[in-house]
Amino acid sequence: MLEIRSARKVFYKGQADEKVALDGLDLSLATGEFGVVIGSNGAGKSSMLNAISGALVLDTGQIVINGDDVTATPVHKRATRLARVFQDPMRGTAASMTVAENMLLAELRSNKRTLRRGLNATRLSAYKDRLSLLGLGLENRLDTRVELLSGGQRQSLSLIMAVGGSPELLLLDEHTAALDPRTADIVMQATIRAVEALKLTTLMVTHNMQHAVDFGHKVIMLDAGRVRLEIDGKDKAQTTVPDLIGHFSVKTDRMFLAS
Amino acid sequence: MDILQNTIASFVSLVPVTLAQSLILAFVVLGIMIPFRMLSFPDLTSEGAFPLGGCVCGVLMAAGMSPLSAIAIALVAGFIAGCCTAFIHLRFRIHTLLAGILMMTMLYSINLRIMGRSNLSVFGAPTVFDWAPGLQPGFPASKIVVAGLIALVVFFLLYHFFRTEKGTAVRAVGANPDMAEAQGINVWLATIGGVGLAGAFSAAGGALMVQSQGFADVNMGLGILINGLAALMIGEAIVGKQSVLRQLAAPFVGAIVYYQLVSFCLAAGMPPPDLKLATGLFVLAMLALPSLKRSRGPAPARETVRE
Repeated sequence: MLEIRSARKVFYKGQADEKVALDGLDLSLATGEFGVVIGSNGAGKSSMLNAISGALVLDTGQIVINGDDVTATPVHKRATRLARVFQDPMRGTAASMTVAENMLLAELRSNKRTLRRGLNATRLSAYKDRLSLLGLGLENRLDTRVELLSGGQRQSLSLIMAVGGSPELLLLDEHTAALDPRTADIVMQATIRAVEALKLTTLMVTHNMQHAVDFGHKVIMLDAGRVRLEIDGKDKAQTTVPDLIGHFSVKTDRMFLAS
Repeated sequence: MDILQNTIASFVSLVPVTLAQSLILAFVVLGIMIPFRMLSFPDLTSEGAFPLGGCVCGVLMAAGMSPLSAIAIALVAGFIAGCCTAFIHLRFRIHTLLAGILMMTMLYSINLRIMGRSNLSVFGAPTVFDWAPGLQPGFPASKIVVAGLIALVVFFLLYHFFRTEKGTAVRAVGANPDMAEAQGINVWLATIGGVGLAGAFSAAGGALMVQSQGFADVNMGLGILINGLAALMIGEAIVGKQSVLRQLAAPFVGAIVYYQLVSFCLAAGMPPPDLKLATGLFVLAMLALPSLKRSRGPAPARETVRE
């Protein structure tokens, strides 16, 4: 389904503050698989998601989605295949537009946009139904501008928008990190429900080790721009939070030794 | 009392002429509003696209072309000018305002080249205003009817467009370009097309103006931008900008009210040279108002524009 082949990206190449973001990263995800990506800050998690979505152009390496090499495909064309929820609720929605208009934009992500009326009665009632699943009352605020919603409501809307068209690949970029614990829980539960119901191939970046243990089919730990550890299957079921944190500390100890 | 009566008398006698003029200039205001509000792309091209439309139309009319095809070609010229500004910004990552200044400076020379001299009289050539049914050509009434009809058609076409699937996508590019791109919208295409459309409207305003006044002049765009901006601010203050309908109505309402205001100031004896200063101060006041209103409390999020 998703395959990243020896992806490499260097920032500020040839300068004093040269930074290797991705260092020959290899990763693959089967169709319907839910991968959870962990790693310390600067390990290359965001760079990896940006490379998949097309926002970051690789120096070398390939991104393959469903057998098609999309390495040279621009962001807006890749968007027909993948959907992304950002950490910042502001980034995933158009603030000055209404809830319904945002839903429309998401629905048209993988379709051709025509010169027909955008928001018609059929669509509005469909959006009402989909938003009511969240239980946040958004279904009654279709004409509200998104900037008037709370961060949690905006993020829930982003999620509904992302899973709406059953994308081939769903990217979740620490999408609950900016929310309060209760709202984060609501959004996370909604995410799991949607991913399981629609059998979405998902890649979720998180700093929450409990989430990494509880959810997903495999845990991928990134370090210094490459995959350091992959735990799946039976091992994944037996992994605990302290185990994962242990892997972080091993790395830290090595860093101490190296320095 | 005498002064007041005189002022009002001369103002009222100017109302039809001013109304005709303002309906034509409403297109320029529209050409300023679309990039600024719909695309968050502050665009200065109109200062060059307006005389461009005028010059192209003037030359073609002098060559004997029909007034409608002259406007159509002026429209295309303005569209290309707008596209260039957007392209300069997108391709070379030059600030939108600087891209606009570059474009309007270059257009000045281009306009001179097109006309071959600094002004051109097309007085007596047939114009679209001759076609107003049942009205004597050359009078303000025919201009009001023709320009008003065109304005009405353009308004409804745009109102329909911005609510279609494509139109919603264009507005999303203005609201949040990153999000728009992530939703599969081609940001380049929408920006270039949108700013091009705005240039086309500015040029159409210039072409209509030339047909209305009977001559084209390379300097006819001088200060048009700040006038248009003032008109837009007034329009938004009157009808608001919360919905597509209101945002689209603002340029037309604003243009009509603004030029009547200017006419009133002139009738009241304000020296014409002071007009630009007054307009500039007015725009400044309108832009400063929100920050003056809230002298206490946290600063609200600045309106995001592309840079």
